[in-house]
Amino acid sequence: MRFDPVSVRRKVLEMAYSGGTVHIACAFSIVELLTVLYRNHLRFPGNDPDSPGRDYLLLSKGHGVMAQYACLHELGWLSDQQLQNYFRNGTDLKGLSDAHVRGLEVSSGSLGHGFSIGVGISLGLKRQGAHQKVFIVVGDGELNEGPNWEAALFAAHHQLDNLMLVVDVNGFQAMGKTDEVMSLGDLPAKLAAFGFETACVDGHDEHSIDQAIRSLWATGSGRPKALLATTVKGKGVSFMESDNRWHYTRLDEPTFQQAMASLTALRA
Amino acid sequence: MRDALSDALVSMASRNPRFVLLTGDHGYALFDVFRAKFPDQFINAGVAEQNMIGMAAGLARRGFKPCVYGLAAFIPVRTLEQIKLDVAHEGLPVIFLGDGAGLVYSHLGSSHQSTEDIACLRAIPSIEILSPADRHEMTACMAYAESSEAPVYIRIGKADLGDIHAGPLPSLSVGNLVLIHEGREDHAAIIATGAMVKSALEIGQALHLSVWSAPFLKPLSQADVISAAQGSRGLIVLEEHSVLGGLGAAVAEVTSTHCPLRILRIGVEDRFSLGCGDYGYLLSEHGIDKASVLEKVRGFCGLVSE
Repeated sequence: MRFDPVSVRRKVLEMAYSGGTVHIACAFSIVELLTVLYRNHLRFPGNDPDSPGRDYLLLSKGHGVMAQYACLHELGWLSDQQLQNYFRNGTDLKGLSDAHVRGLEVSSGSLGHGFSIGVGISLGLKRQGAHQKVFIVVGDGELNEGPNWEAALFAAHHQLDNLMLVVDVNGFQAMGKTDEVMSLGDLPAKLAAFGFETACVDGHDEHSIDQAIRSLWATGSGRPKALLATTVKGKGVSFMESDNRWHYTRLDEPTFQQAMASLTALRA
Repeated sequence: MRDALSDALVSMASRNPRFVLLTGDHGYALFDVFRAKFPDQFINAGVAEQNMIGMAAGLARRGFKPCVYGLAAFIPVRTLEQIKLDVAHEGLPVIFLGDGAGLVYSHLGSSHQSTEDIACLRAIPSIEILSPADRHEMTACMAYAESSEAPVYIRIGKADLGDIHAGPLPSLSVGNLVLIHEGREDHAAIIATGAMVKSALEIGQALHLSVWSAPFLKPLSQADVISAAQGSRGLIVLEEHSVLGGLGAAVAEVTSTHCPLRILRIGVEDRFSLGCGDYGYLLSEHGIDKASVLEKVRGFCGLVSE
């Protein structure tokens, strides 16, 4: 189980190109986060994504689902054929996250749903005396949605310290920069004020992400955790980075080749 | 009827340790017994209904049987998308209790009234919609919801109108209408639901019309609707809900395909309440008090007998 961000991004580009789809940049900002979570932290007894004893990863920002598909393929839970058929008529992998796909926990893309579902799972685990963990990946733009803040209040009040909110702070949402659309202000301070144990990290530094997650769990303080990962939307392909057009733009043959070359250079 | 609800909740909690009752800070006295007996199975989720529905979905995924209580104006109407996506799309067995449905919160105005909840939910796949008329139907509806694997919405309207049925009902069969008064064959028949069944019964008895109670709004038995239609000269459908998208629409959808006949849909016309007033006042403002309904039914019966 040793996959890396470059192979994940390559799969995302192949899916996006063959399926003719958008949201490439949304997937690229969370590649290191998902890679570290799947590789180093999430436990799936019997290598079964449906195991009742599993840890949970809820991708609430469903727009990044291609990165999750790529990880599930790395883990052997999605086939080559499923990835090749992405976005095609009559196939199972949709453009946004759908819980009917094995390995996906929530149907999202309508934003602000995953946090609450994660809180329910986390509460259920506590009541069952189970020691599994719940990770919820949200986008910073997604935090515009009110139910996130309802969920934050509840998680803190009920001391859900088996829950970690992972915020992909890429600084963009659909129509522009989060600071220009509706500023989140001091997000770490906000979440701390809600009662979360928080840590800030470079969301593309695998080692730092791994250490920050371990440190947060070690706090064991009866407080829910929040990992604020500063990321670059479109990370990994130089001409996509921080260019919000790649929320919407489809690859053509030249841009696909250029993007793949950009990834290869990254690995070298 | 509220005692029947409370009793059902308590017995469900005692039978199943994974039964959890969630409320959005509503139902103050209703849950006294439940809270005293099963404090660990009671969750006040605060005034945060959207999060409450998502949490119920999360709890259901861990094998719990969540029952979510709120005013019908909020559960389901405010939280429609959470119900659609978090619960119904995944087919999770969550029970929704929408209290004060219809015009019950008459004095409080449109924010607390709910005459659109049935229409909102009917178009969402997989969810079942129940609407008990008295305490016996309430008990039967709760028993059905307890055993259902699907999401279930129970619409609770005005709860102190007295009994319709003489005693406990046998268990409900999915979608069935319940014949509560047999009228004359060459007359119209009434299908009513929830708090409107009482008026329907009294009018049916006075005018010799068959009266059916509809504890199920979805699914609704096609065979039963056809049977009610074929034995009558026309159907009157009565509900404390908008005439758009509710029981009247559901009945018309069946008859228009299988046995076209005249239907009079009596309910709240396509508008909000205007004035302040008690429940009786609001019913008459909307023309669904017993006297107004009687007049409309008489007119319809005259029309269909010509």
